[in-house]
Amino acid sequence: MAAKQGVVQTSRFAAWVSSPTGPKTTHFWGPIANWGFVLAGLADTATKPPESISRNMTAAMCVYSLLFMRFAWAINPCNYLLFACHASNECVQLNQMRRWASVQPWAADYGFAAKGAASAESK
Amino acid sequence: MASSQAPGLGQKLRQLWNHPAGPKTIHFWAPTFKWGISFANIADMQRPAELISYPQQCAITATGIIWSRFSTQISPVNYNLLAVNAFMAVTGIYQLSRKIRHDMEKKEPEAAAAATTA
Repeated sequence: MAAKQGVVQTSRFAAWVSSPTGPKTTHFWGPIANWGFVLAGLADTATKPPESISRNMTAAMCVYSLLFMRFAWAINPCNYLLFACHASNECVQLNQMRRWASVQPWAADYGFAAKGAASAESK
Repeated sequence: MASSQAPGLGQKLRQLWNHPAGPKTIHFWAPTFKWGISFANIADMQRPAELISYPQQCAITATGIIWSRFSTQISPVNYNLLAVNAFMAVTGIYQLSRKIRHDMEKKEPEAAAAATTA
């Protein structure tokens, strides 16, 4: 990509890097930071037992991501990165909610107790 | 009735209610609900420190800090978003400090036991 005299030809990538919503701005890093929730949720799903899940935090995340999916769609311009982030977080947090519920004492009554978890009968 | 020169309370409330970022819109409820994460974190301060998740609290702290900066760079400046994210970062930092302190205290007797048996 040769630069002509007096004419600056930038690649699309370079144009994006210096755009008002590009990686030099907080408009980019804000949504990127929110992917931290998704990664943290996946790490916790893979490595932590269901007993360590916080019901309050997981429920708050489920509602929060639902609201922000709508928010990312409704703002001008649509922030697809933010939308994708919260859609993913919604899935991850709902799964965490399911894992939390599977080790609750009442889970056996509804037929989704975790295999090998302490059940109500053992009390 | 409100005079035309000095809008009364009723008119001000109606303006707020019908505002494009007011309580009828997602622009209001999404940032407002973000307080739920901070409140959930405060409730979790009652839980034992070993149940705290490092990745989750790091994500909460980093998000809080970055979005606090974000909310001062957008136009117009969104002080509600700034407040909620700053508070969220503080709760995240506190939870992280609890977890780190717990892990350090756990290491000390283990290190002492290892030193005496070595």
